[in-house]
Amino acid sequence: MADSCASCGDLTGTGTAAWYARRALLRSAVFDTSDHELWAHRPAVACSVLVGVVTEVHEDAIVIDTRHGPEVVTVSPATVTWLGARTAVSALRPGDTVIVRHTTVNAGSRPRRLAERIWARIGRVTGRIIAAEGREFLVDAGRHDRSPRRVVVATASARQIQVRFPRLAPGFLLDVIGTRHGDHLLAVTPAAAQPPYRAGETPAAPLVNGPLPVPVSGSAVWHEPDDEPPSLLGLGYPALDPETDGLVTEQTAAGGVTAGGAEAGRGPGCVRLPYLSLGSAVRVTNECAGRSAVLPVTSDGFMARQFCDRCLQCGTSPRGRVADLTMTAFVELGGNLEDGCFNATLALAGLPRPTGV
Amino acid sequence: MIGANTLDLLREVQLPLLAVLLAGACAAKARRAITARSVDAGTGPTAVVPLRLRRPAAVGLCACELALSIGLLVTAGPVGAGGPSLVVRCATALLLCTAAGALYVLRTRRPDAGCGCFGELSHTPVTWRVISRSGLLGASALASVGAPPLRMPGSAAQAWLVLAAVAAELALLVALSPEAGQVMLRLGHTDPCELREVPVARTLAALHASASWRRHRRLITGAVPVDVWREGCWRFVVFPGELADRQLEVVFAVYLSGRRPPVRMGMLDIDADFAVAPRTAALELSNPV
Repeated sequence: MADSCASCGDLTGTGTAAWYARRALLRSAVFDTSDHELWAHRPAVACSVLVGVVTEVHEDAIVIDTRHGPEVVTVSPATVTWLGARTAVSALRPGDTVIVRHTTVNAGSRPRRLAERIWARIGRVTGRIIAAEGREFLVDAGRHDRSPRRVVVATASARQIQVRFPRLAPGFLLDVIGTRHGDHLLAVTPAAAQPPYRAGETPAAPLVNGPLPVPVSGSAVWHEPDDEPPSLLGLGYPALDPETDGLVTEQTAAGGVTAGGAEAGRGPGCVRLPYLSLGSAVRVTNECAGRSAVLPVTSDGFMARQFCDRCLQCGTSPRGRVADLTMTAFVELGGNLEDGCFNATLALAGLPRPTGV
Repeated sequence: MIGANTLDLLREVQLPLLAVLLAGACAAKARRAITARSVDAGTGPTAVVPLRLRRPAAVGLCACELALSIGLLVTAGPVGAGGPSLVVRCATALLLCTAAGALYVLRTRRPDAGCGCFGELSHTPVTWRVISRSGLLGASALASVGAPPLRMPGSAAQAWLVLAAVAAELALLVALSPEAGQVMLRLGHTDPCELREVPVARTLAALHASASWRRHRRLITGAVPVDVWREGCWRFVVFPGELADRQLEVVFAVYLSGRRPPVRMGMLDIDADFAVAPRTAALELSNPV
């Protein structure tokens, strides 16, 4: 998880996960919303995304070992495969971690999955450079244990990355996409343009007069699962409530409530977003693909707050990152991982507007 | 003779004016550095110097402004007349004229950068207004060189004349300052409730003062909330409860704006409702896209 807050605990733990899911039920007990039905009463998973490890590669299909067992995915000449660059399906090897966007084709007695796009060993590192030596970098990506990520820039991509990230020095931000190799990421493409400021010096967000305009437009990016489940549908949200951070971690002797939360990097970033907590529901829309979903907030979008960039996938988005999606959510919403972002709008789900009070 | 006296007085009043402006600029920069927890935070003329020199340049600029501000005030009277006042005023003129030149360079090389003159208030790109302001202040510092020690006006008419001239100069400075617009905007600005940081203690106080709390208090079995979270303008507070021997959770939604904010209440039967919520991988919940 690129940027989960220190107080979030292990999100893969059933207890914590159920705790947040329960909030949807509690919210619906107060407000008669319908979103909770979509959430709490159906164990919905990504409909068109598979995540797993390749076990067999054939001319017309690949077999993937997923969390729910082996899955056969048919490939066609139209299937786009990415392994550091566009390549043929035959370049995949057993043991490769893949994420597949597929369509379901009803042929004969049982439906089969037809791969639309396959990304193999794809990874992304977004964070603050803490050490640089030649083409190798150590990057603080906001992990729980503060351990840095190691990035090696591919020789062939060095110039391309240098153009978008002219200041590859400690203190500046890095955001690159590449292929995962053991303990490091081999960066092959820049995921964004480097902000002109150092990490932590994000320009102030414009003041908002009157009601907050909804939905909020901006850029949606993705992050690696790290310690989240690979098939998690959710997002890192850049404006978690600093008071509660979604968790009651400690109860004081006086009977009050205190909360944990990452102190560093607090602040609204360069987009004014409503404060939410872990487990809150937001509707994210991919403006480029016309797809949308109600997703839970599953982590702190700390790194998203650091970037005041725009996404140019379909027109120019307003400045700032509004969501840091999990890989599965990004692909499910029609985003292409190698692009790094899509133009997005974000709205609260499951709550009445303030005027409805 | 009266005209010469008035001119001298006008030159003298530049000293407190410059001192206040320099002190204000230093304070605004310091505030920004403290807020951002970084001395070289933000932009300004230091953006044109190499990266390794930005920090010392930012510290040096702030220190110079403070030192000159104090120096101008100390040497304005008869105490520092002569050499010390000459040095301080010449240094002030040099600083302000250099600033005008640096801003011109900044505008050419970094057209998107703000001047940073008054910290976070000066984030708009450098324009000719800002450069002209620095030039004007440099000119007023030059005018103060050789001015006699500060004294009271000799007559009421002279006082009014000096007052009018200072007011006109201030008006000109305000007209040349993009920061004035920012100040006006901030004075009249209040964040909408979704963007406001609200302490949990205030939410609990509002809840305890509400009619909904008094009405449902008997259901609550624990004094301490088991969960608190926020969604936009609402903060949810959950307490353990009991009704007719059934364990339940009592949830209050407290609106985060207004003196007597609306409070809504709901109950969830722990045994009945929780069973329908998926217990495994519960975060993997979404509607189909």
